[in-house]
Amino acid sequence: MLEVAGLSAGYQGSDVLHDVSFHVDAGETVMIIGSNGAGKTTLFRALCGLLPSTSGRVTFRGEDVTGIPVQRIVGLGMAFVPAERYLFPRMTVQENLALGAYPELPDRETSTMVLDLFPRLEERRRQRAGTMSGGEQQMLAVGRALMSRPRLLVLDEPTTGLAPKLAREAYQALEVLRGGGMTILVAEQQVPLALAISDRGYVLENGAITLDGTSEELTADPRVRSAYLGVT
Amino acid sequence: MTASILDGIVLGLQFGVLASGLTLVYGLGGVLNLAYGQMAVISALVVLLTMDAGVPAVPAALLGLLAGGLLGWLFDATILRPVYRRKGEARVLLSLLLTLGVAFIVDGYLNWAYPLRGLSLRIGGDAVEILGVRMRMGSLAASGITLVVLAVLFYVFRYTRLGRAIRSVIENEQGAKLVGIDPPQMLRLILILSGVLAAVVAVTRSMVAPVNVQAGFSLTVLGLIVTVVGGLGSITGAFLAGLVLGIINSIAAAYIGTFLSLIILLVAAGFTILIRPAGLLGVRE
Repeated sequence: MLEVAGLSAGYQGSDVLHDVSFHVDAGETVMIIGSNGAGKTTLFRALCGLLPSTSGRVTFRGEDVTGIPVQRIVGLGMAFVPAERYLFPRMTVQENLALGAYPELPDRETSTMVLDLFPRLEERRRQRAGTMSGGEQQMLAVGRALMSRPRLLVLDEPTTGLAPKLAREAYQALEVLRGGGMTILVAEQQVPLALAISDRGYVLENGAITLDGTSEELTADPRVRSAYLGVT
Repeated sequence: MTASILDGIVLGLQFGVLASGLTLVYGLGGVLNLAYGQMAVISALVVLLTMDAGVPAVPAALLGLLAGGLLGWLFDATILRPVYRRKGEARVLLSLLLTLGVAFIVDGYLNWAYPLRGLSLRIGGDAVEILGVRMRMGSLAASGITLVVLAVLFYVFRYTRLGRAIRSVIENEQGAKLVGIDPPQMLRLILILSGVLAAVVAVTRSMVAPVNVQAGFSLTVLGLIVTVVGGLGSITGAFLAGLVLGIINSIAAAYIGTFLSLIILLVAAGFTILIRPAGLLGVRE
């Protein structure tokens, strides 16, 4: 589904990411684990065409998508939810969701799927996105991304700024999507939560991947346990 | 008084259309087009010259709208290219300078090539009495056209896919990209639209009073005042501000004097900004 090979990227001439390679197969849920400043956001922005990469290649569904602007990536089937969410604050929930389906009009089946997944959005259909709580905005951001019926859903720190209870709810929703066969790539600091619902993971440190394996392997790894799971 | 208010509404609707074109381009692209009035004047001139060639008024007016749209497209494809490469304040400033330059050149050329020419579209038919005031057919036709244009604009922006896409770029350009909208493409569309709107103002204005070749700057200034009062990026704001300022302008012209009406408009705009810095319905602060 997604193949990243030797990707380097950064800001103003200095690279934040160094030669990052990983892959996501169809139907998998893959975690990129890393602490603050490890380069997760830079990695995702480069992946989705929001940031130009300095070297390396991104292949999505067999097509070279390196350097393709983000507005064209969506059409290829990759939907990105950044940590900032980038919602349309003065538009209603319904309008935000409708825009997710752009350039198509939203179809009933997808709308129903999204509103079943996040019943709160159904209740707030006519509310302006900017007036909702952080958790609801996060649901809307994921919902908007799902409206494009993506093959791959890319989420950058979906639990940023969420209370623990809401973070768990967010991951329950991901679990449902995973059960439905969606391919998901997530960057996360909340490692225990993330590893619980994923198939595989990569550890990103100082812009380079230092460790990878199945979720069980990573959970059992002493380095992961001490650095991210708070176990010594 | 009733007469002034009715005249004010006629003028205000035109103000609304005038400001819509400016406010959308600014809200969407961070571009301030100071040659906007000249777009209107060139469109008026196209109508005038076409009619000189013996073409009836209606097809000539439609050709004027087409000319306005072409001008918008031309702006997007040429002088705004270097502007698009910059961001934020630098973009606004460069757009100000470049379009001001174009405005001077166009003004100079028109004054030299077509001195004292102006477009006056005479609409036949007897005056109609409304609320005890005799309104000329020209004023009524102009108001009818501007109302329809504003209603269509409002409907398209509020309820259609394209309108939603355009508003999304105004609200959050990154978010728009994420859902697959190409902001430069939307901006090109909006510039074409703004050219057509400038032409609509030229044509409807000429049904009430002559639009002379040197009217460009005063149209731009009026458009800017209405835009600032209405709030940048809001069509409803432009419509409301247009009506309010149109009525203020007419009353001021009738009771105080035409020579002061622009100053009174500026004072009204100043007060609005003091009370509501983002304008009546502003999107971007």
